[in-house]
Amino acid sequence: MAARALLLASLVLSCFLFPCHGTVLLSSLQRTLEVTASPTSGQVLKGGVDKITVTWGLNQTLAAGTDSTYKTIKVKLCYAPISQVDRGWRKTVDDLKKDRTCQNDIVARPYSPAKSTAQSEWTVERDVPTATYFIRAYAYDADEKEVAYGQTTDAQKTTNLFQVQAISGRHATMDICSICFSVFSVVSLFGFFYNEKRKAKRSQ
Amino acid sequence: MEIEGQATVKESQPPKFALPVDSEHKATEFRLFSVAAPHMRAFHLSWVSFFACFVSSFAAPPLLPIIRDNLNLTASDIGNAGIASVSGAVFARVAMGTACDLFGPRLASASLILLTAPAVYFTSIASSSTSFLLVRFFTGFSLATFVSTQFWMSSMFSAPVVGTANGVAGGWGNLGGGATQLIMPLVFGLIRDIGAIKFTAWRIAFFIPALFQTLSAFALLIFGKDLPDGNFRRLHKAGDKTKDKFSNVFYHGITNYRGWILALSYGYCFGVELTIDNIVAEYFYDRFDLKLHTAGMIAASFGLANIVSRPGGGMISDAVGKRFGMRGRLWALWVVQTLGGVFCIILGRVGSLGASIVVMIVFSLFCQAACGLTFGVVPFVSRRSLGLISGMTGGGGNVGAVLTQLIFFKGSKYSKETGIMLMGIMIIFCTLPICFIYFPQWGGMFCGPSSTKIATEEDYYLSEWNSEEKEKGLHLSSLKFADNSRSERGRKKDSETRPVDETPSTQV
Repeated sequence: MAARALLLASLVLSCFLFPCHGTVLLSSLQRTLEVTASPTSGQVLKGGVDKITVTWGLNQTLAAGTDSTYKTIKVKLCYAPISQVDRGWRKTVDDLKKDRTCQNDIVARPYSPAKSTAQSEWTVERDVPTATYFIRAYAYDADEKEVAYGQTTDAQKTTNLFQVQAISGRHATMDICSICFSVFSVVSLFGFFYNEKRKAKRSQ
Repeated sequence: MEIEGQATVKESQPPKFALPVDSEHKATEFRLFSVAAPHMRAFHLSWVSFFACFVSSFAAPPLLPIIRDNLNLTASDIGNAGIASVSGAVFARVAMGTACDLFGPRLASASLILLTAPAVYFTSIASSSTSFLLVRFFTGFSLATFVSTQFWMSSMFSAPVVGTANGVAGGWGNLGGGATQLIMPLVFGLIRDIGAIKFTAWRIAFFIPALFQTLSAFALLIFGKDLPDGNFRRLHKAGDKTKDKFSNVFYHGITNYRGWILALSYGYCFGVELTIDNIVAEYFYDRFDLKLHTAGMIAASFGLANIVSRPGGGMISDAVGKRFGMRGRLWALWVVQTLGGVFCIILGRVGSLGASIVVMIVFSLFCQAACGLTFGVVPFVSRRSLGLISGMTGGGGNVGAVLTQLIFFKGSKYSKETGIMLMGIMIIFCTLPICFIYFPQWGGMFCGPSSTKIATEEDYYLSEWNSEEKEKGLHLSSLKFADNSRSERGRKKDSETRPVDETPSTQV
C-alpha cells in the first residue's frame, strides 16, 4: 500500500517536473462542462431495466472560445469513493491513462460549439456491477486527448450519487441444473458402493 | 525382473502383468505411453482426476475480474477466499491418507471427488461474498486427491521407479492449476460469444470443470484397481489383504518424526507453489503495469512448468537413489529445495520484467522439483501408515500455503516483492530439518547406516507391528516391501545382497 502510494506520488510529481507528452492529468483539466442526469440522489436503478437521461453542455458563464478545441464528448458512468474502498481495480489515479474510476461508457457524441448542449437516454446495461455511481463527461480534442470535463457531483464526489442494482446473472434453469447434477454425483457414488458390495458378496 | 514363487500370498494361478513386476506385483518399470492395466492405467486415471481437481480449485482466479463485479467482492473478500481454497485441504489430506490405508485409494479418491463436485456446481449459483468463500473452501477439499495419487502410485510401482511415478502423477495433476488459467477464460469467451452476457457466461463456464471432475471420478471407479492384485474390498473378503485398524495406523503415523519433518519441508516447496499460484498474476500486473491477460499468461507458465519440473524431481530422486540410496535422495532434496529458496530471494530483488520472468521460471523448476523429490522419500518412511504419512506431508504443504499467505501476503504490511524475498529466506530455514532425517538401515544426510542391531529394512518396517499382530500374519506385506526396498542402500552396498541388475529399471 505504501509502495503503491509512493509509486503514484512519484508518477504525479514526475509529470509536473518534466513535459509529459500524452499524459493527461485530471487535476490539469478545467471543469467547463455542465452535466446533469435523471437519477436523483440515492435512487436505486435496476440493471438492464431502468434508463438514465444525461444532459451535458458548456457552462454558459464561461468566455466564448473556451470550447474551440472540443471535438468529441464522451459520457461515462463512474464509481463513487464508497465503491472504491478495498477495490484496487477501481482506483482513482490522476494520470487519466491509468485512472480506473470510470469503467462504463454511456455515450459518445461529436461536439460543435454551435449546438453546445445535448441529451441522451441510456438503458443501464446488464453488465454494470452493483455499486454507487456518478456521471462524468470528458471533452476530447482532435488528437483524442482529454481537454475538459464535467460531472454530476462535487469535487469530493460526495453529493448527488445514485446506485445501480445489477442483475445476478442467474437463471432458474441454471439453478435447477446445478442442483440436479450435484444430487446425481452424490447418488451415483452410493450407487457404485452398493454395486461394489454386491460384487464382493458374489465373489465370496 | 519377474520374481515368482517368492509370493507368500495364496494364488490359484500367478496373474500375468503387462509390465515386469516384483514380489508385491508392483511394476518395476514406468512406461508413460502405455495404458496397460493395472499399473499404467492406475497412473493415467489418478493424474487425470487430480488434474481435474486442480482445475476446479483454481478455476475462479482467472475469472475474478468478472466475478468480483458480479458478486460485489472487495480485495479482502478475494484474499480470504484464496486462503480458504487451500486451507480446507489441510485436514482433508490427512484424513484422505488414513482413508487410503483403510479403504483403498480408488474408493477414497472417487468419494472425495464426487462429494466435492457439488461445490463446483454450486459456484455457478453463488450470489454473495459469503457463498463465494464457502464454495471455494469446499472445492479446495478436492486437492486431497493428491494423497490418494501418491499412495496409489506407491502401491503400484516399485522402489526403483516410485519417485518417477509419484513425480509425474503429482506434476501432471498440479498442471491443472496452470492450465485452468488458460482454459477458464477461453470457455468464458466462447460462451459469451454464443450470446450469454458476462454475468451469466462465467456461471455457465463453471459447469465444465464440474462435469470433468464428475466424469473422471466415474472413470476411476469403473476402470481403476487399488492394488495390482485387485481391489481392497474383494481382497479383504477373499482373505488376501488384511484390514487394519484406524487407531494403529494413526499411532504409527504420527509417532514417526520423519513424517513431521517432511510435512514441514513440503510446506516450503508445495506450499510456496500454491502461494505463488494465488499471488503472482497480481504481482506482475501491479509491479510491471501489464495487461491482465498478459499477467495471467505469465502466472499460467509458473504452474505449467510442472509438466517437467516435478516429474524431473521424481526422476532425479530415483536416479540418485539407485546410485547412492536413501542418503542420495535426502541430499538431492535438501540441495534442490534450498536452491529454490535462493532463487525466491532473487525474485524478490530483481527489478526488470525480463529478469523477473526468467528468475521466476528457474525458481518454479527448483520449487516443483523439490516437491517431486519429497515424494521420492515419503514412500519409505512407513509401510503400515503409508497413507497417513503421505497425508501428513500433503497436509503440511497446504499449511505452508496458508501460513505464508497470512504472514507475508495479507494486507499491506509488506510489498509483494519484500514478501517474496522473505518467503525465500523462510524456505531455506524450513528446509534445514531434512538434515535430521535418519533411517537406521540406510543412514541420513550426515550419518551412515546404524551398526547396532536394528539395522535392516525388515527391522525398520516390522517395528511397526507388535508380536501379536505378527503371529496373525498381518505384517507380511511389510515384509515383502522391506525386501523390495533394499535397493535404497545404493549401488555399492546393494551388490552385496543381490546380483547386479544389468537391465535399466527406469524406462519412460
